[in-house]
Amino acid sequence: MNLLDLVIALPALGFVLALLMPRTQENAIKMLALGVSLATFVLSLGLVNGFQSGQTGQQFVTDNIWIASPEIHWHVGIDGLSLWLVILSTFLTPIAILLSWKAIHDRAKEFSAFVLLLEFGLVGVFAAWDLFLFYVFWEVVLVPMYFLIGIWGHDRRIYAAVKFFLYTMAGSVLMLAGIIFIYLRVGTFDYVQILAAISSGHAMLTHTEETLLFLAFFLAFAIKVPLFPLHTWLPDAHVEAPTAGSVMLASVMLKMGTYGLVRFCLPMFPTAARENASWIVALAIIGIVYGGLVALVQPNMKKLVAYSSVSHLGFVVLGIFSFTQIGLDGAVYQMLNHGISTGALFLLVGFLYERRHSLAIADFGGVATVAPWLSIMFLVTTLASIGLPTLNNFVGEFMVLQGSAQANFSWTVFASLGVIISACYMLWMYQRVFFGETNEEVKHHVPDLSLREWACVIPLVVMMVWMGMYSQSFLPVVSEANAKILDQSKMNVPLRVAAPRMTEHAPPDLSRPPVTAAAAGGRADAR
Amino acid sequence: MPASFAPSAADLLRYAPETVLTVAGTLLMVLDPLFAKKSPKLFGHLSIAAFLVAIVAAFQANGAQGLAFSNLLIVDGFATYFRVLVLIIGIVTVLLSYRYLDREQAETGEYHALLLFSVSGQCLMVASNDLMMVFIGLEISSIATYILAGYLRDDKRNNEAALKYFLLGSFATAFMLYGVALIYGATGTTKLDEIRAALLTRGADAWFPMVGIAAALMFVGLAFKVSAAPFQVWAPDVYQGAPAPVSVFMATAPKAAAFAIFLRIFTTAFNQIAGGWEPLVWISALLSMTIGNFAALTQTNLKRMLAYSSIAHAGYVLVALASHSDDGTAGAMFYLAAYALMNLGAFAVVIHISGKGEKHVRIEDLAGLARRQPVTAALLTVFLLSLIGVPLTGGFFGKFYIFRAALQSNLVWLAVLGLLNSAVAAYYYLRLLVVMYMHEPGDVVENLEPLTPGLRAALILPAIGIFYLGVAPGAVLSFAKLSSSFVR
Amino acid sequence: MQNLWLIPALPFLGFLINGILGKKLPKMVINAVAVGSVVLSFLLVLNIWSSGGDLAANPIHQHYFTWIQSGEINIGWDYAVDKLTLIMLMVVTGIGSLIHVYATGYMAHEEGYYRFFAYLNLFMFFMLNLVLGGNYLLLFVGWEGVGLCSYLLIGFYFVKKSASTAGNKAFIVNRIGDFGFSLAMFLIVVNFGTLDFTKVFAAAPGKSTETLTAIALLLLLGATGKSAQIPLYVWLPDAMEGPTPVSALIHAATMVTAGVYMCTRSAVIFTHAPIAMDTVAIVGLATAVFAATIGLTQYDIKKVFAYSTVSQLGYMFLGVGVGAFSAGVWHLVTHAFFKALLFLGAGSVIHACHHEQDMRHMGGLRKYTPVTMAVLACASLAIAGVPGTSGFFSKDAILTAAYGHAPWMFWVGVVTAGMTAFYVWRAFWMTFWGEYRGHGHPHESPWSMLAPLVVLAFLSIAGGFLFNVPKILEGMFPAAEEVPGESMLMGISIAAGLAGIAISYYMYVVNPKLPQRISDGLGGIYRLVYDKYRIDELYDATVVNPVITGSRSLLWKVMDQGVIDGAVNGVGSEAQLAGGWLKMLQSGNIRSYATWVVLGAVCLLILIGVAEGVTR
Repeated sequence: MNLLDLVIALPALGFVLALLMPRTQENAIKMLALGVSLATFVLSLGLVNGFQSGQTGQQFVTDNIWIASPEIHWHVGIDGLSLWLVILSTFLTPIAILLSWKAIHDRAKEFSAFVLLLEFGLVGVFAAWDLFLFYVFWEVVLVPMYFLIGIWGHDRRIYAAVKFFLYTMAGSVLMLAGIIFIYLRVGTFDYVQILAAISSGHAMLTHTEETLLFLAFFLAFAIKVPLFPLHTWLPDAHVEAPTAGSVMLASVMLKMGTYGLVRFCLPMFPTAARENASWIVALAIIGIVYGGLVALVQPNMKKLVAYSSVSHLGFVVLGIFSFTQIGLDGAVYQMLNHGISTGALFLLVGFLYERRHSLAIADFGGVATVAPWLSIMFLVTTLASIGLPTLNNFVGEFMVLQGSAQANFSWTVFASLGVIISACYMLWMYQRVFFGETNEEVKHHVPDLSLREWACVIPLVVMMVWMGMYSQSFLPVVSEANAKILDQSKMNVPLRVAAPRMTEHAPPDLSRPPVTAAAAGGRADAR
Repeated sequence: MPASFAPSAADLLRYAPETVLTVAGTLLMVLDPLFAKKSPKLFGHLSIAAFLVAIVAAFQANGAQGLAFSNLLIVDGFATYFRVLVLIIGIVTVLLSYRYLDREQAETGEYHALLLFSVSGQCLMVASNDLMMVFIGLEISSIATYILAGYLRDDKRNNEAALKYFLLGSFATAFMLYGVALIYGATGTTKLDEIRAALLTRGADAWFPMVGIAAALMFVGLAFKVSAAPFQVWAPDVYQGAPAPVSVFMATAPKAAAFAIFLRIFTTAFNQIAGGWEPLVWISALLSMTIGNFAALTQTNLKRMLAYSSIAHAGYVLVALASHSDDGTAGAMFYLAAYALMNLGAFAVVIHISGKGEKHVRIEDLAGLARRQPVTAALLTVFLLSLIGVPLTGGFFGKFYIFRAALQSNLVWLAVLGLLNSAVAAYYYLRLLVVMYMHEPGDVVENLEPLTPGLRAALILPAIGIFYLGVAPGAVLSFAKLSSSFVR
Repeated sequence: MQNLWLIPALPFLGFLINGILGKKLPKMVINAVAVGSVVLSFLLVLNIWSSGGDLAANPIHQHYFTWIQSGEINIGWDYAVDKLTLIMLMVVTGIGSLIHVYATGYMAHEEGYYRFFAYLNLFMFFMLNLVLGGNYLLLFVGWEGVGLCSYLLIGFYFVKKSASTAGNKAFIVNRIGDFGFSLAMFLIVVNFGTLDFTKVFAAAPGKSTETLTAIALLLLLGATGKSAQIPLYVWLPDAMEGPTPVSALIHAATMVTAGVYMCTRSAVIFTHAPIAMDTVAIVGLATAVFAATIGLTQYDIKKVFAYSTVSQLGYMFLGVGVGAFSAGVWHLVTHAFFKALLFLGAGSVIHACHHEQDMRHMGGLRKYTPVTMAVLACASLAIAGVPGTSGFFSKDAILTAAYGHAPWMFWVGVVTAGMTAFYVWRAFWMTFWGEYRGHGHPHESPWSMLAPLVVLAFLSIAGGFLFNVPKILEGMFPAAEEVPGESMLMGISIAAGLAGIAISYYMYVVNPKLPQRISDGLGGIYRLVYDKYRIDELYDATVVNPVITGSRSLLWKVMDQGVIDGAVNGVGSEAQLAGGWLKMLQSGNIRSYATWVVLGAVCLLILIGVAEGVTR
């Protein structure tokens, strides 16, 4: 039971405790949730502290057998890639709980419980090194978010929740098929061994098989990202979700998709990944521009930010499939940046909603006059999200675009349009909400930030500046992990395809002959 | 070994569970007039006791594995597994029935006796090594169920259900019997192992197409019992019409038993002509999943929806059969257990809310359950998530093992279609969650009385089981894996 | 060896103090912090200026920390000072200090006093970053940063819609320019593997002309945004929504010249890309004429000077484009003096006329605001290029170089010079001569405002001698080739300037009816020019509206909600339909069920027959 296990287990424990507490003790439950999530965060800082850079591969490893047959391991660990995503999850959960302190009174018990369950799932997803375990966490995340949207959401919450669940489910079942297929081929769910088997050619994937597997995984991830044109669940989910839900969804859950792409799609199916890069990048760029343009004309703040996410995540995908070090680093960094800045945006929009009970831009105006600090925090966040240098997003976007420029300059040309558009929609919204004459409603119902709200905003703003000014505290370990992944993603293709397909050539450690043989063989040993 | 008419001690031990149940059943019939008025609950307690004893007996029997009664019966891990399963189902059914019978003032020894007989028939079925035995077991089980389906004799829906089930059931059984006859005509035996041997030695082609036809006919009979497409048509009407406890019993115990013998017959006796029947299973599986799930999408009646879902789940199990491998068999066994538990749980809630005369069985009647009875809602959520196949529930691992087996046997398309099907299925299960958690309480829920001890038990036991299968499936699965090797 | 980081750090500190605590601080403290910080950094700069040693031989270069590091690409937070930077530093901090002082007077009675100075200090910080940056990315930091501050300051009166709109316009138009700039940076990294000025310029001569041209043109696009050149000049006139000190500091003296600085900085790249050079020259020249013509017709005093700024920036680009980099920078410096003065003077006038900006409601102010008039006269002389004034030297240097490059450019330049002289003096006469046509009665501004004006007036006149930029920058750039008959060219440009003044005197003092008749005579053409050629309307019609309506109706409504979501929900409803159709099977009638069973059985029998037949 090492530190990482604790970080994963603690939220689960909190979940159970929260369920056991009497529902009348609303504040006690909230305190419990906050306490647990804070404790988790503090523990997770220990991970940063104890993380040795310079040694590639995962650290804080625990590898115990969970289920004997098929052999499924509780195999968790983190490398430079997962480290910061784990921190991101643990960092945002307490904020999510704190920010809904006033907003959520109805069924506060379930709410707190679900948020903790969500954290459990998220941390697990980023820490799992066993494909099966990964899938388990991947699905576990689905449930609490479904309820968060469905129970505490706005008017069309049910439609949004169901849409969200089904969209993701449809993607992930195919991934499950892919996972099982790989298991049957390699005889293990252990990611490290799978990679070894694939790179050594023992997996003996034919070109077609690799492509299909790649697509199976890719679809699941692309839906989560979400990549154009699979994005339409996102605006609905965001608009309808309660603030905490939107924050967690935008900040962390979307990263599950991009993380999956980097962690699994690139190293496991390098050939397919590279062969399909062109159209994926095309979709990413379309997403960047398209998302921006649609965001431009949204009358609803949350929808606007949601579409801006589509645009931002497009950058991440672009970076990943540029197959350059700086592009990949940028992509990962951009995951974190987007987590912070868009999280903050949803948070502040949520604050506005709590005051005015409307998300329509038209209902606001002149907020800057009545709530100067709220406006300034919103401005900083806006500037971060439109990539102002010295704030976090700029670094990520710069690296991504630089990477894509090295891969193919024309990509960068089109993608950079997104940077212009982002300025347009964000500033335009900012103007309409915060500038101009203060209308009556706003004058009476929009006070400035409360102490609790400050507590939510300040950490985020600090992170924006820190990550924008001194990326060195974060990037090096990421670079190391990415360097390894890039290396794995360009293994020599001929060996893997041309590997002998007769069973007797299969190494002893393989549990079964390749499936093609199993068509007949399946019967054979069924006897 | 020559047939001796004096059964050996071993024979009796191997036949113990059935004995226990039949004796208990008869006893209840006798006691009925004595206690019907005074303490009606007694019958329930007694039959639970009987089931528990039977479980012990089953394990004892498992200790002495082997053939019995001149190879008519076979007690192996496989048989034991299903015996225990149907017995547990029996227990939970009784727990469910307390509330129902009490509400309908219809507590009689008869009801429980029939339950016991039916289960005993299923025990016999799963342990039979002879097609005749199969048939007898099948009939014992079925006839008891026919009556149970029409248990409330002055309830129109009950009677209709019973009649339908009876007529169609016997109709289908006829096919089965005809199949048996053909086999006997061809191979001169009705013993599974001997049929297998005969087909091996002389080769299936010797009797082409007779054996094939026989297999197909038996397939019809069994497919009907497990309500697999295209023989599922009766299920929705009957499940909807029959008393809720009986519906869930029908959806679980006879189904499990039928599947057990399905597996045994086809993987043992008809192993040789697998090439012939695998396509049947393949198609039937796909049809069942698709028809079941898509038809369930639009249902408004809880019982009917669950009926369709049970058709779909039959489809999943058939996928395992189609993959025709040890892993497939093990997967099917595991899945049937998980499936039984989650269905029992779900129906327990249905019984809880349905009220006298089962007036409230629409999905809307669950509205706002999470507000008034959060625990009940939470438990139902567990069962639904398991039905969807969300990880950490038995349902997930069941699906996982089945589709793994399918891919292993290279049934890639069947697996993919099946998985997509399960995504479709998610929709109608989610609808229940939506209604429970996201709608405001309706009058049904507002005037809902708290859970009775029986129902609480009938909810909590399956839930525990689901989580056990979902978090630590190892034990059950390895047992299944072991037993699966018996049916070859 | 002193720490360069102190120079930007001080204003930043001022920004933090005023920004966070300002609301509670007394005005005195705010002034002290705001002005003090800038003046201090000015002193630091002076210190370098005096003790800098031979910057040409060994420029100062200081590395503080690695900002972005990935793979082989490493971008540090470096400050570097060479002579070019030093000149810019002088201008920025020097004029910056003056304008800060002026602002304490000008803004004295404004709401959000502290906010104003916080922004102003923040601007100083970014501007200093821009000129101190040792690599393109750091320059870009300043570049975007000043853009932000200009956005904030233009929209300072954010309750006014026009103000905040102008702010957005400024930022977004600049973003379009930055699009070019950033692409240029990416190209540089791809080709040079670094963004450090020293490394890039060292390697540049070795690269292919195509590459360098591409980079240079993209940089130019960036410059046209920041320095308000065609086609991206449209934001600057609107930027006059901001308080006048802002117009003077950001939109005349410092920020808008960043483009010129950047091109000059990249001289090595440009000089190796002749096509780009010509483009720069032509863009500059075109802008100069174009803006000047608009300037002829405007009545809002600040608008006149705004277009004049655009036009003068055009001159600078012309200088850069014809290879006279030092001349361009020289004009940058002198222009900073007299244009800042013009704006501040205008501010003082506006202040005097109770925030009236329309010159038709001024006039006769020489009685009321003598000092202002005097200083504005100096500025107007300078911009008209009257011999001896600062403007004369720099403008003449540019025009001569232009002649050397291509005579027609010289002639266009001369005409522009004439127009410039005309509209500036037109403004002068309209403001100070004739009778007062405004309301209330005007008053001279306080000395806190006038003092800086006087200093600037002195600089506008003498600036040319004091800062002989070409001498200072000697050796940094390839020397412009000798042009024959220089004195004759000089004469022509002087003549043009004087002519402009004379004509304006005739039209607005001697014979004030004349302008009306002329404009009536020109009719349509006059209207067109008066409406700034309706370029904004053109952009709205061709770019802005299509994008917005297209995004709304086509992308959002049709594509997103119609096609994609339609498909998704379609699948759902299809499934429902299928379900409904399947329900048909359930007739509830036993006979039909039995039929089903039989049919199924038959199918199975056939199937198994076939299957077995196949497998035998």
